[in-house]
Amino acid sequence: MNIYVCVKHVPDSAATITVEGKTGINEKITFLLNPYDEHAVTEAAKIKASSADTEVVAVCLGKAAAENTLRSAMAMGADRSILIETDQYHDSIFTARALAAAIRSDGRPWMVFTGKESIDSEGMQTQFRLAQHLGLSVATNVIKIDADSGGVTVECEREAGTIDVYCMAAPCVIGAGKGLNSPNYPTFPDIVKSRKKPVKRINLTELAIDPPAAGMQILELVPAVEQHTPKALTGSAADIAAQIVDILKNEAKVI
Amino acid sequence: MTKKYDAIIIGAGVIGAPIAYELSKMGYQTMSVDKLPDAGEGSTAGSCAIVRAHYSTEDGVAFAYEGFKYWLDWENYLDHVKDERGLAKFMNTGSLLIKSQGHKWQNVKKHYDAVGVQYKEMTNEEILEMIPVLDLHEFWPVKRPEDPAFWEDPAKMLEGGLFCPEGGYVNDPALSAHNIMRAAEAKGATFMFNAEVVKIRSADGKVQGITLADGTEIDAPVVVNCAGPHSFKINQMASGVWEGCNIKTKALRHEVMYCPAPEEYDYLNKGYHQSDGDIGCYVRPEVGNMYLIGSEDPECDPQEWVDPDEFYAGKGGHGRDNQLSEEQWKAQCYRLGRRVPTLQVPNQPKGVVDLYDCSDDWIPVYDKSDLGGFYMAVGTSGNQYKNAPVVGRMMAELIDACEKGLDHDKEPFQYKMKYTGRTLDVGFFSRKREINYNSSFSVNG
Repeated sequence: MNIYVCVKHVPDSAATITVEGKTGINEKITFLLNPYDEHAVTEAAKIKASSADTEVVAVCLGKAAAENTLRSAMAMGADRSILIETDQYHDSIFTARALAAAIRSDGRPWMVFTGKESIDSEGMQTQFRLAQHLGLSVATNVIKIDADSGGVTVECEREAGTIDVYCMAAPCVIGAGKGLNSPNYPTFPDIVKSRKKPVKRINLTELAIDPPAAGMQILELVPAVEQHTPKALTGSAADIAAQIVDILKNEAKVI
Repeated sequence: MTKKYDAIIIGAGVIGAPIAYELSKMGYQTMSVDKLPDAGEGSTAGSCAIVRAHYSTEDGVAFAYEGFKYWLDWENYLDHVKDERGLAKFMNTGSLLIKSQGHKWQNVKKHYDAVGVQYKEMTNEEILEMIPVLDLHEFWPVKRPEDPAFWEDPAKMLEGGLFCPEGGYVNDPALSAHNIMRAAEAKGATFMFNAEVVKIRSADGKVQGITLADGTEIDAPVVVNCAGPHSFKINQMASGVWEGCNIKTKALRHEVMYCPAPEEYDYLNKGYHQSDGDIGCYVRPEVGNMYLIGSEDPECDPQEWVDPDEFYAGKGGHGRDNQLSEEQWKAQCYRLGRRVPTLQVPNQPKGVVDLYDCSDDWIPVYDKSDLGGFYMAVGTSGNQYKNAPVVGRMMAELIDACEKGLDHDKEPFQYKMKYTGRTLDVGFFSRKREINYNSSFSVNG
């Protein structure tokens, strides 16, 4: 049984992003495995550890440099990977078709993981489109999975404090949320092993993807203006703690 | 109206603040100016604040060991001043120097014996009892992950280490400078922030004072350059000072990484500072059970000399700006990953990028200058944090002696250390010296 994990090669959120031309960015910055995909890979590796004859395959649509991200996924537990090589930007409509075609040409999935979103485009669409192309059910922002031969039960976080529970037939598509696990980062021996794991390179043209009837295009990237308005909290430790609680509750609305 | 003081100190970091403190204790009316908003907010804040004694020269070891005593007695040193932010804390973890080809540890041992530094020689087995997560194979020479040889399996074992129980680190370097500022203020010192020096005024071979970016003029017969990575820019502003230095300083970019310790290892509470020339790294615990991983500047790593203003403005591009680079993240974390095989290395780099004020031979310049009344405590090269309180006292005594007529260039000032009782020839730190080839030419000093 194969578990496919679709991963994306994204700019480091801590990098200074510089827009180049109208629609591109200076790519001489750190790129890494999309953080939500780290949860997906970790969970796939966890499921594999308790399921016999299971292989975890990382799949990525991206430039040649995305191999680094696939190596990261393999260091975190994927057994092998597939890189669908392209030099162009693709929207989630096309990306989902490419990922589905690569998975179909490779084998039969038991489960397909994605992150619940990518931190660069934040489209939150690929997992749904992918499920539609594969003819599978889908759940997103998944924070708990129980999988056995009978099916897959997932808990999805809707908003703080609200959880939906779904029972799905396998195979299915799962969009991993942050609460799913703590990413299992690789040790040096894991990294050494990942260097020897195979990466199958597919040229996008080999997949013969039907052109979609609709598409999305980036017209212009405009840097967001960062506003830092630090505020010093003063008073006794108890006063400061009370102010922090007030901010978290009434301004940030996270508690 | 021009304000007048006895001494102006440019820079309120961990070197400038103690000089202000000691001069104030000696009765000088001091004015410290800093372009940043508070004490210790510049490269001091980016310091790993390691307190260790192993240096490549005997004077270096003695100086650092003297510094230990100040950190161990911090409240007394500050004369029990109250700081509204609390006091920085010396985390006395002990310091392990791995015996390796990357350190002239035999010299360090000789210097430890000469100075009287407490230490214990340890076998690999004793080290493993203390730090069970280590793999003590020899990985020398230090390599980068881009080099295929980096991935080869090691064959030989290391030969133990030297453990110095009095070493460790200070938990908040910026706070330590702030503490010293408060102690200095209690002795009458004045500090001015958001104050950028644009001119050093002088006449007839004597310094007269400084001019700030907003036009404010401050006069004093003594001006001390403690500007950290900006030190060379300040020296260039002072007539004849830059030209009169045989040893120059410049700003070197450096990255320090935070990587979580293995889950089963309580590194924060049970770990040690460790200096490991075999992998070109030093480490110490950090909040969150993290390893803080610094680089010992192995030859295979690039050195990025940068303009400090451009660097702090985030300019210069990949590997030259103030952003961590993926290549160096992997180099430092993977090197430590060889030593600690259960260390988990996250995909996203986390850490600090800052600048060393680095001298030509990585040994600082603590000296007068060719301009009367202008002094410098510069070129601290990433390794003088631990010495800062001693530097404060030594510089204050040097300045006082010179202002009273000593020709330090002809008859170098002899500084008697308070705790070790040793006398240090301050001429060792002269701007006029030839390059000291006994230096490690690295952060090890």
